[in-house]
Amino acid sequence: MSEDGDKKISSSPKYIIPPNIIPGAAVATTTDHFINWFRYSSIWYMLFATACCGIELMQTGGPRTDLDRFGSVFRTSPRQSDLLLVAGTITYKMADRVRLLYAQMPLPKYVIAMGSCATCGGLFTQSYSVVNGVDKIIPVDMYLPGCPPRPEALNHAIIKLQEWMRREHWADKIRKA
Amino acid sequence: MDAREIYGLLVQKFPEGILEFKENLLDPAIEVKPQALIDVAFFLKAEQGLEFDYLRCLSGVDLKDQLEVVYQLHSIAKGHDLVIKVKAAAGDPVIPSVSGIWKTANWHEREAFDLLGINFQGHDDLRRILLPEDWIGHPLKKDYVPQPEYHGITPDRPDGLDAIPIGEGGEQPRPPIQYLPAMHGPKDEPEGKLFHLNMGPHHPSTHGVLNFMLNTDGEVLSRVVPEVGYLHRGMEKLAENLQYSGNMPYTDRIDYLGSMFCNHGWAMAIERLLNIEVPKRAEYCRVIVDELNRIASHLIATGSMAMDVGAFTPFTHWLRERETINDIMEMICGARLTYNYMRIGGVSRDISPAVVEKTLAWLDHFDIIMEEFDRLISENQIFIKRLAEIAVISAEDAIDYGLSGPNLRASGVDFDIRRDEPYSVYPELDFDVITGKAWKGSLGDCYDRYYCRMDEMRQSVRILRQALKAMPEGDIRAKVPKTIKPDPNEVYSRVESARGELGYYVVSDGSPKPYRAKYRTGSFTSMSIIEHLSPGLMVADLVALIASFDVVAPEVDR
Repeated sequence: MSEDGDKKISSSPKYIIPPNIIPGAAVATTTDHFINWFRYSSIWYMLFATACCGIELMQTGGPRTDLDRFGSVFRTSPRQSDLLLVAGTITYKMADRVRLLYAQMPLPKYVIAMGSCATCGGLFTQSYSVVNGVDKIIPVDMYLPGCPPRPEALNHAIIKLQEWMRREHWADKIRKA
Repeated sequence: MDAREIYGLLVQKFPEGILEFKENLLDPAIEVKPQALIDVAFFLKAEQGLEFDYLRCLSGVDLKDQLEVVYQLHSIAKGHDLVIKVKAAAGDPVIPSVSGIWKTANWHEREAFDLLGINFQGHDDLRRILLPEDWIGHPLKKDYVPQPEYHGITPDRPDGLDAIPIGEGGEQPRPPIQYLPAMHGPKDEPEGKLFHLNMGPHHPSTHGVLNFMLNTDGEVLSRVVPEVGYLHRGMEKLAENLQYSGNMPYTDRIDYLGSMFCNHGWAMAIERLLNIEVPKRAEYCRVIVDELNRIASHLIATGSMAMDVGAFTPFTHWLRERETINDIMEMICGARLTYNYMRIGGVSRDISPAVVEKTLAWLDHFDIIMEEFDRLISENQIFIKRLAEIAVISAEDAIDYGLSGPNLRASGVDFDIRRDEPYSVYPELDFDVITGKAWKGSLGDCYDRYYCRMDEMRQSVRILRQALKAMPEGDIRAKVPKTIKPDPNEVYSRVESARGELGYYVVSDGSPKPYRAKYRTGSFTSMSIIEHLSPGLMVADLVALIASFDVVAPEVDR
């Protein structure tokens, strides 16, 4: 696809399901839309809960907010995750492990820095042992403020990420990384 | 026996070793010479009538020219307290280790070594515990200078929001990935026979960032060494640079599942320093939010215990119930998790009739849910088989290792701070202290620790019903000076949190900021018993054991 490929793909889905599905009928769409459809409908996030935000992350996965509706389920292994949700403070002692976990994730991968600590150090900016923002060690796609952010905010972040993924050229995303 | 009588006894017995009796402190302390410490400690533990079997807290304090170690002792049998102090010169601080007498001291001494550089002679494993091994300096010393960078990470933030690149990822320069060398396993094991395995620091069953270094022979563990400190945020140092009231939001984050207890303990410590009487209504507000928080915390504890041994559904049931508590908390103080509700001298907002109504309605609903939960999981054969008879802790071990809260009571020790050292309005409320009854296996196994929490929730419901009914009208805050400047003194205050004894040791030097604040948490103290319990367990049992302790990572690391 050309360099201005991104512009050509609009955000509205192009696959059309006919009202009366005829057996053997074909559906026309672009490969990007087809692949992105799978991708944004199954964002598996890694359960990387280090501190307080981890509880709100669990509540978001719980019955009321229910992230499963968006195809987002938690994985405990980085090898199976698309999204690293850094939920909590990262300390110097933990920093190397975060790098390692990020490196173990398959491409394409996304990072959300959840909460003030992961965004910029938050309350613990002045501390001698806290990394002031996880973007000092790994690239971050989205910053989610709050101490801790409400489940609704996290939900919104996931929807926002879905919107981004919908507009992406998937092959570029792999090559860039 | 009070401190003066014990001092008399000690002077008689050790005329050379006892230095001073500090009677003007809020908790009178006896200063002991370092050379005599072991003898005195042994005497205090073994002597009939004293029987100080429980070391509550061990804190190091930097007095600039000297380093001081403070021991908070308690006797479960006799119910009395004592404070012992030892001083060493700042240049070469050497103090004999009491880890042979009270096992609790093992980890607390390692912490004092890590943060203050006190050398405990006779300690068999004096390594850094909270900070990484290649860390330079001891942060809680008054002359500590933070490192400008650690492994290529600097503490500065770019100025202004524009400087932070916000985009669709992958545009920032990527730091080189550094693969870690193999972690050091527990040493003294024969090479080749055993398999070294790191469980954590990122592991779904470790409840946050805890690392366990395992030596396994097949599925059977021969040794487990917990490695903590992955969430050490330096809260005690931060507290030294904050005003007394300004530290309240930080205490929320010590234990995010029980923020109210942390608030309560801090407020109580400062109120004792200032000698403030809290209005009755405020005390009732505190007890109500405490007990609501205890239920919320035990919901996560029991639910995640079920999840860790393989049942996911109960956890989602409990999360649903917890949402209602979050709603009630939001009505009370505007926050779902980190409440910052209490103030020194009272609470920030009153509990409205709407909250009372909603809480009472929810309690009626919760009774039914508890029965449902019992049917769903407590009587489930697989669940029982995974927990009963696993990791049995005897009452002696539990006291020796300083377990507290439900973990201590599950071993049959009838000790609850709410009843035995009453604070707030707990004496006016009627509740039972739940101890382990060997429900499905032997006394002090994982199932007892689980079911103690279940029964405690029922007791919390009882307390809540009474407190909501008995809450008097009145003020919610006492008159407190704008700038809090307590007289030079020191205090140890404790509350019964969901994870056991939460103690604050606060030293004031007359300035608006605390000179030293040490947080004694239940999780940190109970973690140290895991190494003792683990030989012979299966790997899957270790997961049940960690879950049954209900550890919370920031409470371990602070």
